[in-house]
Amino acid sequence: MEIRSFADYLRGLDDAALLRLFTHRADLISPVPPDMASLAVRASSAPSLARAIDALNAWQFQVLEACTIASEPFTEKIVATLTDKPAIFVIPGLIERGLIYPADDGLRMPTTLRELLGNEVAQLGPHSMAKLNLKKLSDAPPSAKKILEAMAWGPPRGTVTDIKKPGAGVQWCLEEGFLIPYSQTIVVMPREVAIALRGGKVHKEQRVNAPEASYTFTAKDRKNINSAAIANITTFLRWVEEVLNFWAQDPPTALRSGGLGVRDLKALALHIGVDESCAAFVAELCYISALLTIDPDDRILPTTNFDIWLTQRPSDKWLTLVSAWLSTSRVSGLAGNEDSKNVAPLGPELDRVNAASVRSLVLSLLQDHRDGAITPDSMVAIASWHRPSKRIGGIHPSHILFTLRESEWLGVTGQGVISDYGLALVKQSSLEQIDSDLPEDVDHILIQSDNTAIAPGPLAQEIAQEMALLADVESRGGATVFRFTDSTIRRALDHGKTGDEIARFLKATSKTPMPQPLEYLITDVAKKHGKLRVGSTTSFIRCEDQSVIVAILSDKKLDGMGFRRIATEVLISELEVDDAVNVLRNAGYLPAVEDSKGILLSGTRIMRSQSKARPPRIVGEIDTPTDIVLEGAVRVLRTGEKSSHRQSTLRNISSSALGELPRSTANETLELLSHHLTHSADKSLSIGYADNNGLISHRIVDPLKLSAGTLVARDHATGEITTFRIARITGVASL
Amino acid sequence: MNNGPLIVQSDKTLLLDIDHPDSVECRRAIAPFAELERSPEHIHTYRLTNLGLWNARAAGHDAELVIDTLIKYSRYAVPHSILIDVAETMSRYGRLRLEADPIHGLILVTTDSAVLEEVIRAKKIAPLLGPRIDKETIAVHPSQRGAIKQSLLRLGWPAEDFAGYVDGQAHEIALKEDGWKIRPYQELAAEGFWHGGSGVVVLPCGAGKTIVGAAAMAHAKATTLILVTNTVAARQWRDELLRRTTLNEDEIGEYSGAKKEIRPVTIATYQVMTKKKNGVYAHLDLFDTHDWGLIIYDEVHLLPAPIFRFTADIQSRRRLGLTATLVREDGMEGEVFSLIGPKRFDVPWKEIESQGYIAPAECIEVRVNLSEAERLLYATAEPEEKYRYCSTTKTKSEVVQELVAYHAEEQILVIGQYITQLDELSETLGVPLIKGDTPVKERERLFAAFRTGEITCLVVSKVANFSIDLPDATIAIQVSGAFGSRQEEAQRLGRILRPKADGRSAIFYSVVSRDTVDQDFAANRQRFLAEQGYAYRIIDADDVFQGKM
Repeated sequence: MEIRSFADYLRGLDDAALLRLFTHRADLISPVPPDMASLAVRASSAPSLARAIDALNAWQFQVLEACTIASEPFTEKIVATLTDKPAIFVIPGLIERGLIYPADDGLRMPTTLRELLGNEVAQLGPHSMAKLNLKKLSDAPPSAKKILEAMAWGPPRGTVTDIKKPGAGVQWCLEEGFLIPYSQTIVVMPREVAIALRGGKVHKEQRVNAPEASYTFTAKDRKNINSAAIANITTFLRWVEEVLNFWAQDPPTALRSGGLGVRDLKALALHIGVDESCAAFVAELCYISALLTIDPDDRILPTTNFDIWLTQRPSDKWLTLVSAWLSTSRVSGLAGNEDSKNVAPLGPELDRVNAASVRSLVLSLLQDHRDGAITPDSMVAIASWHRPSKRIGGIHPSHILFTLRESEWLGVTGQGVISDYGLALVKQSSLEQIDSDLPEDVDHILIQSDNTAIAPGPLAQEIAQEMALLADVESRGGATVFRFTDSTIRRALDHGKTGDEIARFLKATSKTPMPQPLEYLITDVAKKHGKLRVGSTTSFIRCEDQSVIVAILSDKKLDGMGFRRIATEVLISELEVDDAVNVLRNAGYLPAVEDSKGILLSGTRIMRSQSKARPPRIVGEIDTPTDIVLEGAVRVLRTGEKSSHRQSTLRNISSSALGELPRSTANETLELLSHHLTHSADKSLSIGYADNNGLISHRIVDPLKLSAGTLVARDHATGEITTFRIARITGVASL
Repeated sequence: MNNGPLIVQSDKTLLLDIDHPDSVECRRAIAPFAELERSPEHIHTYRLTNLGLWNARAAGHDAELVIDTLIKYSRYAVPHSILIDVAETMSRYGRLRLEADPIHGLILVTTDSAVLEEVIRAKKIAPLLGPRIDKETIAVHPSQRGAIKQSLLRLGWPAEDFAGYVDGQAHEIALKEDGWKIRPYQELAAEGFWHGGSGVVVLPCGAGKTIVGAAAMAHAKATTLILVTNTVAARQWRDELLRRTTLNEDEIGEYSGAKKEIRPVTIATYQVMTKKKNGVYAHLDLFDTHDWGLIIYDEVHLLPAPIFRFTADIQSRRRLGLTATLVREDGMEGEVFSLIGPKRFDVPWKEIESQGYIAPAECIEVRVNLSEAERLLYATAEPEEKYRYCSTTKTKSEVVQELVAYHAEEQILVIGQYITQLDELSETLGVPLIKGDTPVKERERLFAAFRTGEITCLVVSKVANFSIDLPDATIAIQVSGAFGSRQEEAQRLGRILRPKADGRSAIFYSVVSRDTVDQDFAANRQRFLAEQGYAYRIIDADDVFQGKM
């Protein structure tokens, strides 16, 4: 089959080649195109090509640029000359991706791609129209040489003061056609000249290979890496648990603009003892893993998923977090004060399109460089070789640094080197090793006489929860240090524990004997706890005669009134004071009402309003004006009239001088129109009429009538009856 | 996970499981760089602080050793961030050095010119510097040697001081070991100090800090200025020096409120040094007008601010700080580090106790129930009077009488804060009282009588908190303290920790009113001792009355 176009080429591909194309460019089959013609259209559309270009590494991109430079049809050899020999290994890959295709007469590329890459590919100017004698370049006079050298590597445009009076160097170049005048002050270097000056190459540097990695240290022992990573994993799982427990007790409120406020973030960072960027990351990860949500009341709260998560094995807990991290488009590292604008974690401004691809790129690079901890600078350099992403000006280095930092926090890396767990994650193999490598839970604590207790390892869930209630955490890490104080013991008592229960739990859980001072502390607090009781009630009933109180309590008629005796002489009730009095009166008692100071209130009270008097406004009627008001009104009117009359006279003079339509105020217009209608209704009028945008047009109309602020008239231009709003009529003149 | 005795926490504390077989070895390994924070019975807490790590650098340990030690003994994987932090912190020490230069006098030299650029630009440092000599060197005004060390420490770039010391006026001093021997740890402490040039030796009360001072003087063999807290302490230093060294009475002078002698070895009190006359410190000249080869600061944790200021000016003289605790209630630990010097020696109380150099002690808190009437009075007292009221109740003095009677055979000190309470106790118990206005002569007579056993019980106010050597006191009864001061409690316990001739253990009673602020303050004070491994036992006053102790 003859291949004349890209569509022809695609039609001629076998299944395997199509599969390769779709592997590289997944967007081509979502959705699957109906036929080859639509596939060709989609494959040569600018957005799809742009995606394909973004997936190229620096060397592939250079070769593609060289293809653009070579005039169609071109051969592999030409491209190799323009770049470097290894280019011939890259070309099949570009063909596979459908970025260039073999036609009958050689290699070609879709036209859209050429447009997409722009006019000045690799800083090269346009083709020269004239035939050039490039050999003369070497004989260039020094002044011209200087100019040529300066422009050789682009940009291809140069500025001169005046093209008509060029300097000697520019003059020579112009004469030889090595520069082309573009405008009065700009000259352009033709593509052929630049390539000749570049020694036949397109790029200064042929970036055939990724830059060499440099390491902060080389990993001698994978064991150390893994143990560092497992420490990070333990720590991270603990952070997540702590953040969610912290917010479960005291949920922060989301900002109106969405996300977590600065103050709440600070409090969180302080609580788990990390810096704010790390705290933001932990919170974000909880959010994207659905362990945390912002409820309709704008409270930030753990979800029920958290309870499920808590019961999972560590490896599953970790996987939940890490897989959410890998796929999310949110970049938590952006949270914080960036360019004086506060970007809130959990807020709406953290999404970046290439976040996940940057992350998977960094992880695959970490996997390739596992001999040591690769330096961040080196990682940035290598990553930008792999994904030059020219369209967006390259991957932002900070995103790579965020990813490195986050991998370390998560334990994907340990001491900056990818750990076995990270490798298992990338290869999607089992993570069970985490469960066996994590330190075992301990089921005991050690209580000491300075009122601290130490859990010498990760504490079993139920003990940890109990201890969180009984004591404050003083230090976290592999172990946990708890401190008992009277307020923590009181907190436990408030949660319904008794002193005995606390002591029994501690004795059972502690490996060491319970120190006497702690026992005293618990008994002391328990003894005092609840001695003072506070409650709320609506009314009280008191009587010095206890027999009356007893009578009320046992009175059948008052059954169900909910009276409660809180002291020998006092009953309390949920009834309002007036209701309580009525109920008691109906039952045959003689209660009197007491105010808050204990003063007896007898009889009806004479009450006065506490607020200022504000009589209602009078509506509809108008006051009869006084003479002064009347006189004032007349004076104001007269003055106003005089000044507007003078103005309109002036306007008339000026406008007639200019031969335009006279301008009049709405009142004058109305007057003129009604005068016209009554006196000479059959004559046409010339009016100026302003449209919605304030543009004034000139109309000739036959006025019919005035109604409700409009003039109904027949427009000569259209022959139709139209209404004109009086306010929009700028001036009237009879014809 | 390697089952070591140490757990490294993410907040830079180290938990040492002392029941672990490797704990002793581990303690020795981490002691140079970690500060012991608490040492209760099972798990000791150490902390990695910047000062501690720099102390370790000053003693010649490097970051690699610290990191290796942590990894070696750690039970769980050490958080990576801590290792990085240790390495970074330690690398900050020694990037700047102060050196003597034959042409420029004092110079600041760096191995990292970026650091020098940073500090030169600091506002507080610029005025202390002279002309720039080259990229890595800058001259320092010799008079600012102390000030620049202080400022650099605050910036987080502590300078190592290699500028050397003046020898001072030579004076022959040697230890006179007749009938006694310097203890190994005392010798280690003195040597540690001497090799470091200047610094602080931390030893528990009763562990013989005076002898460390004397040994340091024997190393220096030069005229020495000794600064102590009060006159009685000054006299005790003198007596001790006469007994332990070749010095004779004419060679030791006392510079105090009473006497103003300047001799080759002069003992001055903080009080007289900081006394102002017409708004100027009249006696601070003492530092400068004599060519001292060594200056000893006793109880360095109490060093008053004006002395710091003056110490900054005498950085070319060797300085030795002695103390039982580097905890300063005012948080000026950094000043001690930069002006006196890094910690040169430290050993936990319990370790010395187990070697038999200080007496073992038992701490008992006696909880006194206030009578109904007293409780009512307490409840209605003004807030500022509450502590005074509850710590001086009548019930307390009854308990004290009972305790004194119970320990009638032993040497007892009754210690308190409020003079009226002490007056009353002294009267009811029929024993002498030493307080602020007791003349020095009378004080000395009473202490001497107590030592010989002529008097078995003494009531003392806070004047006896420090440096009073009463070797035979075995019982201390504290009736009231200075609110929650932690170091006071330690000092008071220290009074009875001198080893007893018959190896008896000492008992420290603290009498506390139940359910009052007294109890809260007591808890705060005891925390320090509990952290030092002295567990408190609590008993009821009723038990005392029934003789159940």
